[in-house]
Amino acid sequence: MLPLSLLNAAQNKPMLVELKNGETFNGHLVNCDNFMNITLREVYQTNTEGDRFWKLKECYIRGSTIKYLRVPDTLLDAVKEEQNRARDAGRGARGAFVSGGNRGRGAPSRGGRGGRGGPMRGGRGRGRGA
Amino acid sequence: MSSLQGYVDRRVLLILQDGRVIVGVMVGFDQRSNVVLSDSKERIYSIDAGVEEIPLGLYLVKGDMIVLIGELDDAVDTAVDLGTIHAEPIPPIRY
Repeated sequence: MLPLSLLNAAQNKPMLVELKNGETFNGHLVNCDNFMNITLREVYQTNTEGDRFWKLKECYIRGSTIKYLRVPDTLLDAVKEEQNRARDAGRGARGAFVSGGNRGRGAPSRGGRGGRGGPMRGGRGRGRGA
Repeated sequence: MSSLQGYVDRRVLLILQDGRVIVGVMVGFDQRSNVVLSDSKERIYSIDAGVEEIPLGLYLVKGDMIVLIGELDDAVDTAVDLGTIHAEPIPPIRY
C-alpha cells in the first residue's frame, strides 16, 4: 500500500503530524497533495519541548518539513477494503469483456474500446473519488 | 535496484535521524522511501531503566527521516525480555 493512498484516505480524519524540528500538530486533515503538503483544521500546535500550546483554526504544512504522521488504525482496513473493491470491479468488468469476446472480436475497435473505457471510469474513478 | 519490497508484511525496525527506534509491520512504501508501519511501537532505551515500549499504531514515516530499516527476527525478538535491557539511547544526528 502506498503511503500517499493512506494519506488521501485520511481526509477528514484526525491525525498527529510531527515536524523535523519536533513541533507537533494535532488536527483533522482537510487536504493533501503528492508532496505531502497538507492542510489541517481545528489544530492544536505544540512547540518542540511540548510545554507550550497554540490553537489554530486552520494551517498549511509543507510536506518537506514533516517527520512523520500518525493516523487512526482503522484507516488501514478501510484502504485495504477499498483497494480490494477496486481490483474486483476491474476484474469483473474485464471478465464481462472477455465473455462478450465473440462480438467484441468482430468489431475490435468499437467493442474493445467501449468495453475497456467503461470499467476504467466506473471502477477506478469511483475508487479515487471516495 | 534496491527495493523495500522484501520487507512488506514483515516486522521491521526503523532508526530515525532523531535517534528514535520504531518497530512495526511494514504495510507499504514508495519511491521516496516513505514507509507505512502498522502496530508500531517506539522503543525507548535508557541506562538506568529497562526498554520502554510506547504503542504508536498506524504510522507514516517520511523517507527523509529514515536512517536504517532492518527486518526483525520475530522468534529472537519475542524471546528477548526488553525490561532487562539497559542501553544508551541513540543520539540524534547533528550537522
